[in-house]
Amino acid sequence: MFAADVEVGGDLALVDWAATPLGPPGEWPQSLQTAVSILLSSRFPMWMAWGPDLTFFCNAAYRRDTLGQKYPWALGRPASEVWAEIWNDIGPRIDAVLTTDRATWDEALLLFLERSGYAEETYHTFSYSPLRDDTGAVVGMLCVVSEETERVIGERRMATLRDLGSDPSVVRTEQEMLAFVGQQLGRNPRDLPFTLTYLFQPDGSARLAGTTGLTAAHPAAPVTLPADAADAGDALWPAAAPARGESVVVSLEGTAFTTLPAGEWPKPPTRALVVPLLQQGGDPYGFLVAGLNRYRPLDPGYRGFVELVAGHIAAGIAGARSYQAQQRRAEELAELDRAKTTFFSNISHEFRTPLTLIMGPVEDLRARFDGTDPRVREELDAIHRNGLRLGKLVNSLLDFSRIEAGRMQARYEPVDLAAVTAELASVFRSAVNKAGLAFEVDCARLDEPVHLDRGMWEKVVLNLLSNALKFTFDGSITVTTRAENDHAVITVADTGIGVSAEEMPRLFERFHRIETARARSDEGSGIGLALVKELVGLHGGTISADSTVGKGTCFTIRLPFGSEHLPADALAPAVSAAAVSATAEPYVQEALRWLPTGPSDTDPPMVPTSDDVAPHTSGPVVPARVLIADDNADMREYLTRILRGAGYRVEAVADGHEALRAVRADAPDLVVSDVMMPRLDGLSLVRELRTDARTAPVPVLLLSARAGQEASIEGLEAGADDYLVKPFAAAELLARVRANVELSHLRAHHARWRTALVDSLQEAFFVCDEDGAVIEINAAFTDILGYGPGELPYPPVHPWWPDADTDREAHQQCAEAFDRLVGEGHGRCTVPVTHRDGHRLWIDVAFNPVQDPDTGHRVIVGTFRDVTAEHYSVQRDSALAALSLRLSQATALPEALTGALSELKNLWRARQVLAAVFGHRAEPVLAAADAAPNWQELPADRREALVALCERPPLTPVTDHTSAGITVEHPDGPMALWVDLGQSRPFTDEDKLLLSLLAGHLAQGLVRVHQIDQQRETAIALQRAILGPAHLPDGFAVRYEPATPPLEVGGDWYDTVALPDGRTGIVVGDCVGRGLEAATVMGQLRSACRALLLQDASPAQTLMALDHFAAGIPGALCTTVFCGVLDQATGCLTYSSAGHPPGILAHRDGTIHLLDDGRSLPLAVRPGRPRPEAECTIPARATLLLYTDGLVERRRRPLNEGIDQAGEAVHAGRNATVDDLATQIMTRLAPENGYDDDVALLLYRHPAPLEMTFPAESSQLAPVRKALRTWLERCQMPPQTAQNVLVAVGEACANAIEHGHRHAPGDPVRLRAEASVNDVRLIVADTGRWKTPQPDANAHRGRGVTLMKAMMQQVTITSGATGTTVDMHTRIA
Amino acid sequence: MTTPLTLTPGRRPDGTMLLTAVGEIDMTNTEALADALDTTSGPIVLDLTGVGYLDSAGLNVLFTRADRVELVATPLLAPVLTISGLADLTTVHGL
Repeated sequence: MFAADVEVGGDLALVDWAATPLGPPGEWPQSLQTAVSILLSSRFPMWMAWGPDLTFFCNAAYRRDTLGQKYPWALGRPASEVWAEIWNDIGPRIDAVLTTDRATWDEALLLFLERSGYAEETYHTFSYSPLRDDTGAVVGMLCVVSEETERVIGERRMATLRDLGSDPSVVRTEQEMLAFVGQQLGRNPRDLPFTLTYLFQPDGSARLAGTTGLTAAHPAAPVTLPADAADAGDALWPAAAPARGESVVVSLEGTAFTTLPAGEWPKPPTRALVVPLLQQGGDPYGFLVAGLNRYRPLDPGYRGFVELVAGHIAAGIAGARSYQAQQRRAEELAELDRAKTTFFSNISHEFRTPLTLIMGPVEDLRARFDGTDPRVREELDAIHRNGLRLGKLVNSLLDFSRIEAGRMQARYEPVDLAAVTAELASVFRSAVNKAGLAFEVDCARLDEPVHLDRGMWEKVVLNLLSNALKFTFDGSITVTTRAENDHAVITVADTGIGVSAEEMPRLFERFHRIETARARSDEGSGIGLALVKELVGLHGGTISADSTVGKGTCFTIRLPFGSEHLPADALAPAVSAAAVSATAEPYVQEALRWLPTGPSDTDPPMVPTSDDVAPHTSGPVVPARVLIADDNADMREYLTRILRGAGYRVEAVADGHEALRAVRADAPDLVVSDVMMPRLDGLSLVRELRTDARTAPVPVLLLSARAGQEASIEGLEAGADDYLVKPFAAAELLARVRANVELSHLRAHHARWRTALVDSLQEAFFVCDEDGAVIEINAAFTDILGYGPGELPYPPVHPWWPDADTDREAHQQCAEAFDRLVGEGHGRCTVPVTHRDGHRLWIDVAFNPVQDPDTGHRVIVGTFRDVTAEHYSVQRDSALAALSLRLSQATALPEALTGALSELKNLWRARQVLAAVFGHRAEPVLAAADAAPNWQELPADRREALVALCERPPLTPVTDHTSAGITVEHPDGPMALWVDLGQSRPFTDEDKLLLSLLAGHLAQGLVRVHQIDQQRETAIALQRAILGPAHLPDGFAVRYEPATPPLEVGGDWYDTVALPDGRTGIVVGDCVGRGLEAATVMGQLRSACRALLLQDASPAQTLMALDHFAAGIPGALCTTVFCGVLDQATGCLTYSSAGHPPGILAHRDGTIHLLDDGRSLPLAVRPGRPRPEAECTIPARATLLLYTDGLVERRRRPLNEGIDQAGEAVHAGRNATVDDLATQIMTRLAPENGYDDDVALLLYRHPAPLEMTFPAESSQLAPVRKALRTWLERCQMPPQTAQNVLVAVGEACANAIEHGHRHAPGDPVRLRAEASVNDVRLIVADTGRWKTPQPDANAHRGRGVTLMKAMMQQVTITSGATGTTVDMHTRIA
Repeated sequence: MTTPLTLTPGRRPDGTMLLTAVGEIDMTNTEALADALDTTSGPIVLDLTGVGYLDSAGLNVLFTRADRVELVATPLLAPVLTISGLADLTTVHGL
């Protein structure tokens, strides 16, 4: 019995069972043995308790999961001792099971177990179900348990982590963040009875920043921990360890800790865990003190939880501080910018005032000294020239500061652009010519005016011309204007030295000076072209440059026609063409100064040439990776150079396709992409990136040559994060790149947190798209189902659905759940699924629709957990209940077995369930859920398999791919039980467990039913023995109907007694009362009456003796009895009645005669009083009916009415056999709702049938005829009828002798003759075979059959293997 | 053992041969009957008035001698003689 498990079984065997109430195992009842076998063979954690002390047993799984150090001490001890610490919880449940016989079910119940040396917080899902002994009484209980401590605690911790991450605002201040954290931690007092958050201060001390579970005033929560005391022994919390980045466990001993809160527990923590709040790449921010739940060990899970909490706090602090720092920096930058603008503005004004005060007098002096002293004149000119230069520079700076401050006062008027431009150009003609260059001005008149601010436009054209002149030594300068679609296009081209490709991008950069090999002057502030670009931009136009080194440069300006692109309040009507303003002069003057023939070469430059004002950008804090996608190699190189220079790690690709591949391979922190690219353009690239969940978060900065809002909106709609129009300043690019990278880092932090959170969920997590394809999963998902994230997405039908062919129903369940998921989007259900390795799981899945905030698409987010154990537990309970019900309803063993088999068949939806009992018979007896075949009908291999199965140890399931089998002890012998699953379907370990549980239950049930069966059979045999004779003489029929089923006896009886003189005693009696009590009285009276009749065949004497006998038996008083002695030869009946209803004699002519003579008192009323006796003769073919009053007595009806009715019933059945007649009477007289009193009925028809058997010899013919003739006379048959019967029977007998037993003379021939009122029936049967009549050879034999047929009304000759029977009857004329 | 049957030969007043049978005729004693009938080859009257039973074996004996046997019988045997058709072949007196 203990062999099913070596380990626990071995220890069980060592228990001194004799000392327990259960006694030595050899004496254990079958039921206990079965229960222990099931327990030990199960791989599920179980324990059971049995007997008066609830003696404890458990299996290996329970020992491993739950029992801990109590093993093996617990085995054989009272359960109340084993589980003393939780007896208050489980004791009442066990009592309930034992007293109500009903199973309990508890889910995740908290129990404090002391199995590891301390009270431990544990959770268990379990059911207690009753165990019965061999009599069916509940004597113990079985507990199937799954420990859920890990799940419950894991879920609780996850909830806290989830809540911590649920903060909707991305950034908040440190204080707000800590307050939010405090709120969340305070909601989990079980894992965190209290927490303290300390932050390190610059001076090395630590400041209390947050508490949960206790107030800040608590002695264990000092507001500051001084720096110097940090390592001292008296420091309350060891700040030094977390400062080094280490965690430390602190024992909570000392006065400060005496009043610690207990959280939700009975007792406060005894230890706390101090964890650093780590900073990436820096010293910890501070530390978290977490009071530890004393009812849980500080295992890696607990420690990990506290560290995750600390990690979250640290991340929060990092976020808050970084946000604060950024905010500060942005404010500083803005302030700097404001200061710069103000500075430029101020300084310009400050310059202009003294300049004006210089230039005014210089003009005067020049006029005054004109033509006087040439030296004075030259010096004045120099002052004037440089004054103009300075003025121009100052004005330009002022323009910039105006533009930046948005205070540029523009006045756009419709202008003939060609004319204005040509006029401006002409100002430079002399200077150009003087430089030896050709000057071509090709300004054809445009059809529409262009809105210009004249002053600004002058600066644009003059700057460009000045620039061209400066860098051109040979060739020409060309100015053109023309219309191109809706733009005016102005070009200023030169044949100068050109600009190298590297420098081109920075051409328009403010304060950037192009390093050139040669120029007419090294002068230059680096703001000319930048100002040009700004001014053109103000006109809604663009400027671009084409340049080839050594060939020249061409600037192209495009200005839109019309005025819609300009601010309405800056528009002005056309003014008559004004002359070129004074602005031109400084440009020309300056240009002339560069020429060798210029007024002077000696002026030293007034403005320093080192324009080393660097663009205000800085590199990234952490080296971020940027991917550049641009088809233009120059652009790629340029961008690469800029970004590398700023400290980024850069990868460059030539088009969208390559970019996509690169991002998928390793996502960068930012993608900078051109819009226009071959193969896959920038907008498509963005779309592609956004559709894939893995690449969606990568930020993209688009570069485009197309300006304007529409273009940028298109880019942003496609999902780009930022948009930059070419040409752009390097600084602008760097600023945008930096902003996007930082934003992406901030986002990525949340994404990482989310991923970590989702992954650490114990419940499986998944996201489905609208079509039901699974697009995201977590680690638990993979743990439960075996399908990993590598193969995402999983489109429907998902690979974990059960196979549609082999398990259609399970597949269907999955399909229905899926329909709900895709259709309704929300719901919860439990479905079967298949693990990747093929085993069956049940999962409880819940799902809800969610709007993806990024894409706006509807997705479905779901979680599920593995409820396989619960599912099977419920299935087991209900299967056991169903089986119990079946077994309890069965009244006989075969019925119980068939019922149980069909229960198993339903449970597994099996094709067939078959049981073969190897009992004492030659062949095993089969039973099945449906019609059972017999053994020989089974295929040979099945028979062999069943025989093999039967030889296995009981209750150990075996399976193959289509079936499962198990051996069970049947009361008749070992029984092999075979479940034919019908198709290839997994029969899992759960199924095996269930099968052995059910089989064990079945074995017990069968024993019980068998015992009941035996008792019942015994009782029935006893009852029948009391009731009446086992064999009735021929001619009699009896019926008995007890009033109280299931008893088959009552107070009534009938009896026939073969008396020594050949006559027959007939008794019908009725004791007072009914049921078992009356039956015992009846039994004694019947026996006594029988004995008395045998002694003295006088009815009156018998009843008088019975009077005395009955007087001595309690309950026998007033018994009524009809007692008669019948001579069957003559029909003479002597009778006496002790208060019994009269017998009914129905004559063959239909008249009724009541046997109402010989009447006297019921038994024992007057013992000793003589009783009368009467006599009558039963005529031939009359029927005698004796009965008890239950047959005829009805409420509110005179007795004689019932007696008449009975007489009519006898007459109505006059042609039936006496046995059929008995049935007819019982049916005919039965009240609507059945007899409510005992009924005994005895019928005799006179004469009794003739029955004789004689050897097949011709010498027997005469004696047989003689006997038949005598019987016929008793029947008072008319002579001719009698003669006919004699001839017909004679011929039949002669045939039997002559043919039937030709080769075996002397074999028996049987004759039976039976008369009813109007009919006589004759049967002659032999055991041989007749020859087919051959009239020629045996003319007289053929004649014999003819005679029979002529004499009788009906002759049937049936010839078969067992003999020939001639059945004849004829009416009695 | 054969069924009791007494066969008494005699003559009728007209001199015809007469055989008087008393008892029952069945397969056990038809031989005796045949022998008695065959003591003469001429016409013979068989008196069956004292016979209570005659079966088909007996009838067989009579059929084979129907051309020279006349029968005297009581109504008790009439059905057997009539149904078998013997009454049509031979003269039956006393029915």
